[in-house]
Amino acid sequence: MSGAATAGSSVKERAKLALNDEFLRKAVKFTTERLRNGKKAASEQHGHWDEWRERGRQIRLHTIAHLDYYLNLFADNARKNGVHIHFADTGAEAVKIALEIARRVQAKTVVKSKSMVTEELHLNHALDSIGVEAIETDLGEYIIQLAGEMPSHIVIPAIHKNRYQIAELLSADAGETLSPDTTVLAGYVRKKLREKFLEADIGMTGCNFAIAETGSMVLFENEGNARMVSTLPKTQITLMGMERIVPSWADLEVMATLLPRSATGQKLTVYLSGITGPRRETDADGPEEMHIIIVDNGRSLQLGDPEFQELLNCIRCGACLNACPVYRHIGGHAYGGTYSGPIGAVLTPALKKNVAEWDDIANASSLCGACYEACPVKIPLHEMLIYLRRRKVEAGRGNALESAGMKGFAAVMGNAKRYKAALKLGRIGQKLVVRDGGIRAKLGPLKGWNTYRVAPSLAKETFRERWDTLEQEIRAGLREMDPDMKERMERLARERAEGKGGHGHG
Amino acid sequence: MAESHRDWLERMDAESRAKQEAFMNGIAAKLRRPRAVQAPEHPFRGAPDFWNGFEWPLEERIRKFMENFQAVGGHVARLPDLQAVRAFIADKAAEMNAKYVIRQNVAELDALELESALPEGARVSVWNRGEGEHWKARAAEADFGVVVADYAAAYTGSVTVLSAKDKGRSVSLLPTVLIAIIPVERLKTRLGEILKDFDRAGRENLPAGIHFISGPSRSSDIENDLTIGVHGPGIVYALLVG
Repeated sequence: MSGAATAGSSVKERAKLALNDEFLRKAVKFTTERLRNGKKAASEQHGHWDEWRERGRQIRLHTIAHLDYYLNLFADNARKNGVHIHFADTGAEAVKIALEIARRVQAKTVVKSKSMVTEELHLNHALDSIGVEAIETDLGEYIIQLAGEMPSHIVIPAIHKNRYQIAELLSADAGETLSPDTTVLAGYVRKKLREKFLEADIGMTGCNFAIAETGSMVLFENEGNARMVSTLPKTQITLMGMERIVPSWADLEVMATLLPRSATGQKLTVYLSGITGPRRETDADGPEEMHIIIVDNGRSLQLGDPEFQELLNCIRCGACLNACPVYRHIGGHAYGGTYSGPIGAVLTPALKKNVAEWDDIANASSLCGACYEACPVKIPLHEMLIYLRRRKVEAGRGNALESAGMKGFAAVMGNAKRYKAALKLGRIGQKLVVRDGGIRAKLGPLKGWNTYRVAPSLAKETFRERWDTLEQEIRAGLREMDPDMKERMERLARERAEGKGGHGHG
Repeated sequence: MAESHRDWLERMDAESRAKQEAFMNGIAAKLRRPRAVQAPEHPFRGAPDFWNGFEWPLEERIRKFMENFQAVGGHVARLPDLQAVRAFIADKAAEMNAKYVIRQNVAELDALELESALPEGARVSVWNRGEGEHWKARAAEADFGVVVADYAAAYTGSVTVLSAKDKGRSVSLLPTVLIAIIPVERLKTRLGEILKDFDRAGRENLPAGIHFISGPSRSSDIENDLTIGVHGPGIVYALLVG
């Protein structure tokens, strides 16, 4: 299972791994259903949800449209607060800066709270290469770090592991057997990481939002580890995507309304922290030295692109993952990048902007639009997936068979006579492959579909052919119930009234 | 190392300032317009209008705060005055056998005189009062952390604490049990009523740490099973006073 993140080069291959893993599928479904229902309840209970979404979208659109102004303002203000600001065009540059800081402060250990940007940069690996131990402190992240895997969900990274697998990992870490009990396991991690927080040289965080007008950085979390990481070690390094900005604290209220409700269905995460600079002279805790590394790494490529600029509005809530029928089926690892689900399907290739590396993730979507409906800032992800497909085809990386098929489809569907003739042909042709009313052969265009499912055979009569009969049946059926059926139902009702029928609770 | 740490920081800062110009110019170029140097008109600032006028009367605020705080696993009590708070904390300390208590160094808590109220053998540390103490360790070992909230918000069931010399961030974070005292006049309806004070105060007047706390530390990372007290306090009391 530990190879799930890397094995398989295409989404299809990786999805096959996920699809064959019964537990993963159930766990993903359970979690995402729960999160999705929680979100639905929280947003409905809050009321005016669409007005809040629209407001969130407007604030994000406005900030990104004036990003040079707001980011500049943020950097200037944060510096005045005593923060050391750094800019990194690429992931490699960001890693270089982080490593230089680690070397300068002679760090031995780095405690980290959840940060998608550091995942994106593979920063742990880089730290390891210069002999610095990086410890993930978010419970789920700690677990998958022990397993040597990648997160499979933005909000719940260890969604694909069950408590027995987790007990095994943590027992190996503890050097004693821990029972597969959630409280015991979490208690072990609490104790173990307490010491790490207190002795670490560097605390490393991500950044949910940065407030331009005061140069503050904002973190949303439930466990308290992000607070630990930004309070206890002497040096704090925050990695921040360049688009994380909101203008003011007033704007933060809108984000604080949208993010937790969309991510986990909470009214607010347990902790919401706004950090404005390192410790003050007289404070007895908080970092003495604070660095914020502002990372581009492909983000600015979306600026000025009418089809993809709105990607930068994303607040990383994970609601689109929970809403997506494809994600719920194949899980996060199948996407093969740092970001999974619909947002990952668009963001991963968009950040690379490298046509040659455009994977087939854009095809791992049914274009149903559930992601757009769920998105708290209304990013039209389903449309972006189509743009991606189009660009892939334009770049000559489409599937030749698919293009030919589409052309043929257009030719057949455009002409009623040809359509009828094709159906007739199909009905004769399928006799070779139909077994038990289904087609299982992995032939031609049905190869992908039939790998996991059975294609239905073509009906003996088409829907169009049956329409007249159907209409008659419906109308007739409404007029009167079948006398036999009526009699059976009446008998059942009588028996129930008399206490017979064998379904009593006595 | 020939270069001192301070020199190195200064060199990095100089590099960063130079880079900043290029970075911002790059953004403007991609947006196909000149650099925006003036504050742009921001017509959608903050929450929607219908929300900004929303306010519950005091008793409703108290009721909703208690309801929300309890819904996420927090404990609440409404107490008439500081004497009642003193008795409450002393009772809890006896009940849970608390040995180490850390509290903020503020006048309201001085007035509680916890030292004499707590059971025999319990030790009270006062954050950052006196030299040479390892304050983070004192907070980390504490059974109880006692703070006075700067604000609270009823709609989300949140307590707000601001850091200062006498009000360490660790006091509300490291102890096993957190006791937050909320004078009812500090209880607002919406988060936005609190946040707007930070805009008004401006950068120079903000503390290093502003923390909203909405219940006990929690995680659902193991099989979606809710666990309490993963890193932060697992037991949190909000005591509404007045």
